[in-house]
Amino acid sequence: MQQINIHALSDYLETQVLEPWKGIKKVAHDEYFTSGHRTCQGCESALVMRLMIKAAGPRTIVLGATGCMYVANTTYYSTPWVVPWMHTQLGSSGSAATGTAAALTALMRKGKMEKEPINVIAFCGDGGGADMGLSAISAALQHTQYNLLIFLYDNESYANTDIQVSGLSPYGANSTFSPPGKVHRIMHKRWKKNTAAMLAAGHPDCKYVATVSAGNAVDTINKVRRALTIGGPTFIHSLDPCPKGWDYDPKYSHDLGELAVETGIWPLYEVEEGKLKMYGKSKHIAKRRVERKPVSEYLLRQGRFAHFTKEDLDYFQGKIDEMWEKWLLPGVIPFTGE
Amino acid sequence: MSTSSVEVVYRGIFQKTLAKNVCRGIVFAAKKDGRIGIAFGRYSDSPERNGIPAKQFAVVADTEEELEEHLSRYEPDNNDVTICADDTLCKGVESWAWYGLQPINKLLKPDGTLLVTSMRPADSLIRDIHRKAVPYNLATVKGTASFSGLWVYKDDHTDVRLLGALAKVAPHVVSLDAIIEGIGDSMKQASVRKAYDMVEPVPVAVDQGNDEVPYEFDLPGYTTMEECLVIRGMDKQQDVPGRDGGYVPARNPTFKKYATRTMRPVINFETCTKCTICWLQCPDTCFDVTPDDYYDANMEACCGCGVCEAVCPVDQCITMINEEAFTDNASQWEMWSKDKESYSKWLSEKISEQPARSHGFHHIGQYAEEIAHEST
Repeated sequence: MQQINIHALSDYLETQVLEPWKGIKKVAHDEYFTSGHRTCQGCESALVMRLMIKAAGPRTIVLGATGCMYVANTTYYSTPWVVPWMHTQLGSSGSAATGTAAALTALMRKGKMEKEPINVIAFCGDGGGADMGLSAISAALQHTQYNLLIFLYDNESYANTDIQVSGLSPYGANSTFSPPGKVHRIMHKRWKKNTAAMLAAGHPDCKYVATVSAGNAVDTINKVRRALTIGGPTFIHSLDPCPKGWDYDPKYSHDLGELAVETGIWPLYEVEEGKLKMYGKSKHIAKRRVERKPVSEYLLRQGRFAHFTKEDLDYFQGKIDEMWEKWLLPGVIPFTGE
Repeated sequence: MSTSSVEVVYRGIFQKTLAKNVCRGIVFAAKKDGRIGIAFGRYSDSPERNGIPAKQFAVVADTEEELEEHLSRYEPDNNDVTICADDTLCKGVESWAWYGLQPINKLLKPDGTLLVTSMRPADSLIRDIHRKAVPYNLATVKGTASFSGLWVYKDDHTDVRLLGALAKVAPHVVSLDAIIEGIGDSMKQASVRKAYDMVEPVPVAVDQGNDEVPYEFDLPGYTTMEECLVIRGMDKQQDVPGRDGGYVPARNPTFKKYATRTMRPVINFETCTKCTICWLQCPDTCFDVTPDDYYDANMEACCGCGVCEAVCPVDQCITMINEEAFTDNASQWEMWSKDKESYSKWLSEKISEQPARSHGFHHIGQYAEEIAHEST
């Protein structure tokens, strides 16, 4: 009987080495998520899927939790995916990623598959990831023996079922669950969870956590490539403007993504091997080299905030100011020192 | 004893509230007429997506039994009236709930009326509408397509004007008096009366209209599907004849975006700097990379969101044009490569003749400004 040395063979941790693409002209033409999906006009999340898999390349398995990017992209017998893709339940992107990575390791260990680094990416929306699937993602980030990337595309609501509040919906936003009324104007009073920093701080063995915005496409691509190259369980959180739920002209998806960064609402950072690095415009904001734009520039361009009064805008601005001026690590870690 | 039904075809999300108001208005008016009605959306259109065609229905009957009998069918066909809330839908309807293109007049009964919101004359609309085997009528309510979003509604009276026109073209469905009675606001009542007076249906004969056969696809049934419901992924790249070099991504063979578009980009290749931003930021992977490194918007995949226009750093290099200005989906780059002079003429023609189109929320107070502008 063949002897298997489990300890020697189980930790197959080699990753694909994906060098960053320096500049927009270096971005490869190859598409692995292509046209003919049924998302909204101007869907930023569809762009994020496209950039994510463009960055990862053809030797990748993608797993998708329920949400817009599952329903709109894989309707009856029709798909824009070129790479293998599988649906998984709403809260199970973490478990599906761990299971797939473990299965690949086992198949390679047993010689049933040629040894080869294969990227495993599980994506989830804000509802599937930050509400229902948070525990599974947390578990996945502890399994340091597997290479996997959890990619959270965050359009700040349960957009697929017509815009219900999620744990990542912003304060005061109009939604099916929080319609502003004459007596109670603000129906959603919870503040958005600080998901990426929470996961980075809570899982010190996780080698890579980043936030991205597809408005900055080349950086988004390179963060995905970095995560897959570093290996182990990794996490990326993307803020995706949603023309349907945020209620704006679809052509402004890109502009709103940029404004979220410029107003300081969406800080861009990466935590690599325990080291925090702000990047893009957020770096300049953190170093106070550029002024943050007022949040009203971002909020008042969206129909979901059309009921906001000056009082609400001031409250929102105050919370963002606090985030950059009072937090222990501005924009990232919310405690203050003694 | 009779049952009648009205179908409202509209742009998902952009006109969801408008369609709901029309269907509810019909049901409320039917009640005033002493009849019974129900309004509902097409189940498989939900969740709606911005711009993707969707449908809502209103069914009116004399008795509850008749209404129930009618509702036992999946989707009302043989409709007395089809209301088309956006005239670019006259090119056909490819909803996200089914495959292939459905002519806008397909579910209309013989001698029924197609009611379109449009500024265009009837023959221009008939050019786009597929031919029907039986004659029907075409009526227009003058106005640009009323677009808003999920939360902020543009109350420009399009809903009540459609109801007024409906009472004229199909008095057996709802009466004018009942509609007016159901609307409290006197300004809106005036809009109803005006639309009623102005609408003039024209007959459309069987030999009038677009003679193209609408595209359709064969899909496997559940008995012919692969084990584990495996769906074959797309090939990485398709061969496109006549193009050496460049890159053309695979195009989904069973879903095209022809009917999703209300606008399309036209590109001035002379001023293009090949910066690649339009290509990289397109959520629909719609740009083909040409052998000479230009980016050609492929109309098979473009859903007309306008992101390319917004991100293009060159002034007026990419311009979004109302879809009604086009009758084909030909490659602009091919047209330009063949004859640069006539392309430039074509381009400036398209840009200068651009009909107005509003595409959703920009800022607070915008809809009031638009309504004030439209009424002058």
